[in-house]
Amino acid sequence: MAQVSLPLPSLAEAAQLPHRSADPNPAGSLAKPRLDAAKPLPRRGLERLDLMLLCLESLDLNGGEALVWLSDSLGFSSRFPNRVELWKRRCHNPMRRACRRGELEPGDAEALMRILCGMADRLYPMLRSLLSTTEPAQLSAERWALFEARLGELLLERMNPRRSGVQKLLDPQEGAAERRHLVQSLAFVAGAGGYERLRASLLDAAS
Amino acid sequence: MLVSSPMKQSLRYQQLSCQLVVEGLPDLSAGHGKDDLGILTGWSLRWAGRPELEGQRDHLEALVAAVLPYARHLVSGLRRSFGNPSGPVWIEPGQDGAHTLHLVSRQSGQPTLDLQLDDAELADLVRVLDQFRLDPRLQLAMAVPPPQPLRPHELIQRLPLQRRLAAPLGGMAALALAAALAGLLAPPPLPAGRPLAPATPAQGRS
Repeated sequence: MAQVSLPLPSLAEAAQLPHRSADPNPAGSLAKPRLDAAKPLPRRGLERLDLMLLCLESLDLNGGEALVWLSDSLGFSSRFPNRVELWKRRCHNPMRRACRRGELEPGDAEALMRILCGMADRLYPMLRSLLSTTEPAQLSAERWALFEARLGELLLERMNPRRSGVQKLLDPQEGAAERRHLVQSLAFVAGAGGYERLRASLLDAAS
Repeated sequence: MLVSSPMKQSLRYQQLSCQLVVEGLPDLSAGHGKDDLGILTGWSLRWAGRPELEGQRDHLEALVAAVLPYARHLVSGLRRSFGNPSGPVWIEPGQDGAHTLHLVSRQSGQPTLDLQLDDAELADLVRVLDQFRLDPRLQLAMAVPPPQPLRPHELIQRLPLQRRLAAPLGGMAALALAAALAGLLAPPPLPAGRPLAPATPAQGRS
C-alpha cells in the first residue's frame, strides 16, 4: 500500500466550494445561494461577531496583528489594508465605546466572518483545551481565569460599560455561561466548514 | 492522507479525539478520476478510549445529518435533539452540558450505543465531518441541509420556560390586581328612598 498525501482545501479555497447537498445538479447549487449574501447583519449579529473576535484576541496576545495578517492571507488586503480599517468595521458593534452608525456592508461582514473562522481554526487547540473535560481541573481553571481576565481587560478598554450586555459579560458569576458559549461557538465555527454555521447564526435575529 | 490500493481509496480525517476513515472506489462510469471516491463502501470512526464505529453510507449520512445541525443550533445557543430516535443515529443534550450520541446497530440483539461527548469531543467530530463533506475528492451527493437562520419561534426556545411565562403571567397578575383594586374603590351605594333627580333639560339654549 502506497501512502500519498493530498492537501485538503484551504480556507480560501473552501470558500469557493459548493456546499455538498442532495441536489443532483451541483451547478444548480452554485447558482442558487441558500443564504442571501446581500443581507446585512442585524444588530445582535454585529455584537456577536465583534465579541467573538474579541474572544480570539483574548486568546492570542498578538491577536490584533494576527487578524490583519490573516486578512491579507485570505485576500482581503484591499478591503482592510491596515489595522485601522479593520477596527473601523468592527466599530459598527453597538456595544462599543466608539460606535459607528449605519449598517456594515455585507461584503465587509462576510470578510470579517471568514477572518473569524480562519483565526478560530488557528487557535482551535486553545479553544479545545478550554472546553475539554478531560484536562486536569486545576489547569483548566487557570486557563479560564487567564482568558477571562484578558477578555475583561479588552471589554473595559473597548466596550461601553453602561451596556447591560457588557456588564453581564464582565460579571464573574452571571457572565460565565455567556463566556463559555462564546468559546464553544468559536470551536464549532472554526475552519472552512464553520463559515455557514456562523453566518446562519449571526443572521438569526434578522429572520 | 490517502492510502491507495489498485482501485480502492481510503480517505482519513483526523482530530485529537477521533479519526474518520472512509473507503470506497472511484465511479469511473461517471467520469471520476482515479483519486476520487464516488462509491462509498464503508467507513469507520475511531474514538480515543471508545469502541470503534463502523457502518455503511446511510449510517454516515445519518451521522452527518444529526451532528452538523445540532452543532449549528448550539452556536445559536439552542440545545435540542436531532435525528430520528427510530433511526440509526440521533443526538441530544446530556447532563452538565454534555452531548449524548445514540447509535443503533443494524444487527438484531445489539443494544443502542450511547456515547457521552463533551464540547471538545463534539467539536472534534464536527471538524472531522466538515473535512469529510468539503473534501473535493469525494464525489458523493450527500443530503446535508444548509444551515439556516433560526426563526423567531425557535429563538424564543432558548429562554427557560419560567422566563418565557414570566411576562404573560405578570401581565395577568397585574390585571387581576387592578380589577381587585377597582372593586375596592367602587363608589358607595346611594341611600335608599331618595330617588335621583330627573335630568333637567338644558336651559338657556338659544
